[in-house]
Amino acid sequence: MSGHHISSAKFLWGIGFALFVLTFITVAVTWMHIPGPWNVVVAIGLAAIKATIVAAFFMNLYWDSKYNLMLLVMSFVFFFLMIGITLLDTLFRNDPVPAF
Amino acid sequence: MSHMETSALKRLQVQRFKPEENPEIHYLNSERGLWSWLSTVDHKRIGLMYLASIAIFFFIGGVLALVLRTELLSPAQSFLDADVYNQVFTLHGAIMIFFFLVPSVPAALGNFILPIQLGAKDVAFPRLNLASFYIYTIGTVFTLVAIITGAVDTGWTFYTPYSTETGTNVLLMTLGIFILGFSSILTGVNFIVTIHKMRAPGMTWSKLPLNVWSLYATSIIQVLATPVLAITLLLLVMERALGIGIFDPALGGDPVLFQHFFWFYSHPAVYIMIVPGFGVISEVISTFSRKHIFGYWAIALSSLAIAFIGFLVWGHHMFTAGQSSLASMVFSFLTFLVGIPTGIKIFNWLATMYKGSIDLKAPMLYAMVFLFLFTIGGFTGIMLGALSVDIHLHDTYFVVAHFHYVMMGGMVMALLAGLHYWWPKMFGKMYSEVYARISCALIFIGFNLAFLPQFVMGAQGMPRRYFNYIDQFQPFHQLSTMGAYIMGVGFVIMFFYLLHSLVRGEKAASNPWGSRALEWQTTSPAAPHNFEHTPVVIHGPYDYHKPMSEFQLGIAHGHHGESHQPETLETVAETGTRP
Amino acid sequence: MGMWIFLVTEILFFGGLFAAYIVYRAWYPDLYVQASTQLDTFWGAVNTAVLIGSSLTVAMAIRSAQLNQIKGLIINLYITIGLAFTFMVIKYFEYVHKFEKGIFPGQYYTYEGIAHEKANIFFSIYYMMTGLHGLHVIIGIGLMIWLLVKAKKGAFSAEYYTPVEITGLYWHLVDVIWIFLFPLLYLID
Repeated sequence: MSGHHISSAKFLWGIGFALFVLTFITVAVTWMHIPGPWNVVVAIGLAAIKATIVAAFFMNLYWDSKYNLMLLVMSFVFFFLMIGITLLDTLFRNDPVPAF
Repeated sequence: MSHMETSALKRLQVQRFKPEENPEIHYLNSERGLWSWLSTVDHKRIGLMYLASIAIFFFIGGVLALVLRTELLSPAQSFLDADVYNQVFTLHGAIMIFFFLVPSVPAALGNFILPIQLGAKDVAFPRLNLASFYIYTIGTVFTLVAIITGAVDTGWTFYTPYSTETGTNVLLMTLGIFILGFSSILTGVNFIVTIHKMRAPGMTWSKLPLNVWSLYATSIIQVLATPVLAITLLLLVMERALGIGIFDPALGGDPVLFQHFFWFYSHPAVYIMIVPGFGVISEVISTFSRKHIFGYWAIALSSLAIAFIGFLVWGHHMFTAGQSSLASMVFSFLTFLVGIPTGIKIFNWLATMYKGSIDLKAPMLYAMVFLFLFTIGGFTGIMLGALSVDIHLHDTYFVVAHFHYVMMGGMVMALLAGLHYWWPKMFGKMYSEVYARISCALIFIGFNLAFLPQFVMGAQGMPRRYFNYIDQFQPFHQLSTMGAYIMGVGFVIMFFYLLHSLVRGEKAASNPWGSRALEWQTTSPAAPHNFEHTPVVIHGPYDYHKPMSEFQLGIAHGHHGESHQPETLETVAETGTRP
Repeated sequence: MGMWIFLVTEILFFGGLFAAYIVYRAWYPDLYVQASTQLDTFWGAVNTAVLIGSSLTVAMAIRSAQLNQIKGLIINLYITIGLAFTFMVIKYFEYVHKFEKGIFPGQYYTYEGIAHEKANIFFSIYYMMTGLHGLHVIIGIGLMIWLLVKAKKGAFSAEYYTPVEITGLYWHLVDVIWIFLFPLLYLID
């Protein structure tokens, strides 16, 4: 299944350390009170970076077959489609006729 | 399978392996006893167990339908209370959809035929396959318990707020379906991996039977959509048990959100139901026209297109539910798009038949019935997709007629075509052509009589799920009930001649239809491990212009003791563990 | 490959809950800001670190198996299980703390401290998401105990460690889901 790539212990610890640092940054950022929708963007962005690191280096996607990567990406694509189109409804309930 | 690790082209020494006629040992008698069936990991036996289960549920669902139609013979109460009526149609829908249609072709026929069509010995995860079956069984037991201890009356769609308030057994029933969902997911996983990893040498993606393409598309839908149903049902359960309020406006929730979640699964679910049927039809039409399928890649890729676009149209079930106009317009547009790949398939099948050498055996009759009935169903679906029209037709009998045309006139006919097509491979017996045709005729006539009037009724305003109605609709209802009974007779006849075939049918040849597809190049009934040799594929399954001998190739073994002179063919097989 | 497909289903499964979260956050942004103050950021961050640590140790466990260091595999599995338990214990205390205040899911909600009539929606979503996640953690613990038992019997080696690998994949996904849950629930400004 995986490419049987064996990471060195130092590498894995390095990734772990990077993740801890990013977690600290995630919390620290909330002390800065970023305005408006950007705080969510930053928070999700950081989470996405962490998730990518876990997927690529702990779950070995970086060295794995491209198909597995495509599976992961597609699942997120569908997730966004699900949310996006649902929001088309829930966010526009009050407009009797579309605003355009 | 083979150890072909490189993706380089490889030369294989092959010889012809003609399938044995009337084999002594086959998968049905290689092991005996009840336990050998209950603990089997043979995909063929698992497929048969699913087949038996879905047949039972089809029977139960059908009886419920006849009860409904009998009640509807006259307006007002005949013999059912209004509450009981609600329970009966809920059960009819839930059983037919979740316990019959969703598992039917994928789990029953698909499990049986997929590995054989690929030239594999079994699916990728045989024990997982058995687990899938047991999970399905447990789900059905839960649901049957729910039915017996107090039924459900919400309609199969479990809409909130009624489903959160009603006193009936919603909890048990949704749990039963939740469990069933896992069976669906695991089967999907199994099929995807099998198709990727376990093809016979030489079977490239361009030589896959179209049935396999459609099972692949179906498995993708199963894997992506069923978890959303699972979370929806879980949220419903939490709502009932803990009063979470996520769908309750008084607590800030939104009942339409339930509908979004529910239909995000349930619309792709209808594609889970029909796409495998499309695969079967491709096989049957090609075999019985003795002609290469027209537009192979168009059909293959349109299955994937349907799978994808099918995920984007769920809101067309909610046009009158209070959805925003913007969303409704978007969904209406996307719904029109999803009809295009389906239309492509219909035209391709017709083109396949054109100038083909048509053999009107039972499977082909069902396939042609499919073409006619499904086209009507599909067109009326597009009609319903038009936003303005749907406002009038939503929740009327027009919708009921539409989905029965696609699900029953489409999917069930395809299932019957597949059943009659692969029956010799499954049991090594032939059935009576005469009775098969009688059955087919009765079912066709009965079906149209049952559901055509419903289109008219619906357009005139007869609402669905109603137990009472005004007098102007009575003739329609009566015609419909007559049709339902005629169909029932057709199915009863089918049961008997199929049973007769099992017990006293004429023995089948290995390839009674003269097909070129791989599953026909082995014994009937199939061998315990599908093939006695490792098949090698050099042509696609629809190349009728090539001689039969070139479809019966396998890797040459020294010890198989073939009496033929081994033909040393060099085949260039693009094999490799491509993911 | 099969495991990755299963992970896809898990993503869609949790995705439904995230969808509910997003829809309600769009409708009641102030509620989320207020209600989130009831969640203790410190312990949430600690739990995040704990789970990341457990991902690290499970990756080390796989590495040990790949190098045929069965002892290392066993030790790393023990640590992973230990960290997972720690996560659940912290979660347990968080929940108890809330129950003491009357913050229960759904209709049992009785807390008065938030000036928003729809407050229980946030907490219902909170309990659903963290509860379902916690359930997956428990399942993961069970899987890893099973792995431990088999490892001690010598079932794994450099040639065969597939169960360890796919359990690892499952565990990493559980971690990733928490990585998203943490900011969305705890760190709303």
